[in-house]
Amino acid sequence: MRRQPWWALWVGTVIVTVGVFSSITLAETVFVQAKTAKLRAGKTSLDRVVADLKFGEALEVLKKEGNWLEVSTAAGVKGWIFANKTTTTKPSGGDDALAKLGKSFRRTEASEVTASAGARGLDKASETYANKAGITQQHRDAVDRMTAYQIADQEVEDFLKEGGLGEYAK
Amino acid sequence: MRNKIVGTIAVVALSVALGGCAEMQRAAEGAARRSGDERLARAIHGGGTLISGLLPIGYEEESSIGQAIALQVVARYGGVSDQSDLTKYVNLVGRAVASTCDRPDIPYRFAILNHESINAFAAPAGYIFVTRGLLKQVRNEAELAAVLGHEIAHVSQKHILEVIQRSKRLAGVTEAGLAYAHQNPEAFKGLIDAAVKKLLDEGLDQEKEIEADQLGDVFAARIGYDPTAYVGLLNRLKTLKGDDRAFFKTHPNFSTRIEAVQKVMQSEGLKPTGVMLGDRFTKLSKG
Repeated sequence: MRRQPWWALWVGTVIVTVGVFSSITLAETVFVQAKTAKLRAGKTSLDRVVADLKFGEALEVLKKEGNWLEVSTAAGVKGWIFANKTTTTKPSGGDDALAKLGKSFRRTEASEVTASAGARGLDKASETYANKAGITQQHRDAVDRMTAYQIADQEVEDFLKEGGLGEYAK
Repeated sequence: MRNKIVGTIAVVALSVALGGCAEMQRAAEGAARRSGDERLARAIHGGGTLISGLLPIGYEEESSIGQAIALQVVARYGGVSDQSDLTKYVNLVGRAVASTCDRPDIPYRFAILNHESINAFAAPAGYIFVTRGLLKQVRNEAELAAVLGHEIAHVSQKHILEVIQRSKRLAGVTEAGLAYAHQNPEAFKGLIDAAVKKLLDEGLDQEKEIEADQLGDVFAARIGYDPTAYVGLLNRLKTLKGDDRAFFKTHPNFSTRIEAVQKVMQSEGLKPTGVMLGDRFTKLSKG
């Protein structure tokens, strides 16, 4: 058997090393940056939903095609997500770590103040403010209604679909 | 022996202050009280309060602040429109834009103010208002989406909360969370009134407004609206009143804003391929 020259071994090592590092670079992680998002079997909004994703959930990117990403969830479910519902940096959410830390120091008086005065109603701090600032009942009711105002997620989804927005873009 | 106990408590309290462990702080406070040293217990309690007073405002407190500011906005701008279909439409557009903004996990609510001036406001915790006068200037859904995107950006970037946090420090409020609002409602009122003055009369810092313009357009484009729509609206408002700041006094002049939006479209690669939805706006904005 003919002996290989020393440089062939060196070139082979470089190729293998580059290959390994390239594959690591390709394994990109993205996070869900939407209140809710659907993972679909294909890259159109007509494809079957294979999983409902939560805000902040980590996904491993397998492939990119147009506005869609093929991803894998931590549970191993594979599917497609509309790319604009993801971000490459982990979203911090409603309270960042420092705000959460601050909250942990707060004692019961804080929750007493924020406890809602009724099923809807202004919270106690705002109500006290409204009394001190002389806000009329009509205006209190307006903010009260605004606080309680709700639209079902499905209705927003239908609105997006009808307008060709989000993942329903033509 | 007593010195040793006090020393141990002091070390625990210090580790609490540095490590931020509220449970340990409470334990140290209790231990000091049980050992009969009320003064030390109060000092440990005060240390925790001081630390938490310096930490960012959490959502619970933000929500109360937002509600109180919203009360003043509604009171000063003629109340809220009772046109339920129009309110629903504005909420649907707003929810669509907010769904993929940089802070989509809090509730956003939108209301129309019965006022003919051309303006829009955002209070913390997602309380967003547009005036009837501004809606009259809007020609399509993409323009409305960008206007709401601008206000959503003020909430997502916590612009008003920064003002409150600064005011709290200046006023020497070191109590955590809403405890001060309960114990000293006058202090809470003072902070809210100062924030309202900044929001409605003086305006936020100019760079915050530019940031909201740029991010708002990015948020609207992210869900599929044409990013050039906002430039169209700003140009129309500029033609209407020129760069007269008295017209839109709480914001930078239109030329600066248009330039900033065009810049972000270029840097973010936003293409004019989204939807305008002029027909849907005409149909549904009639209320």
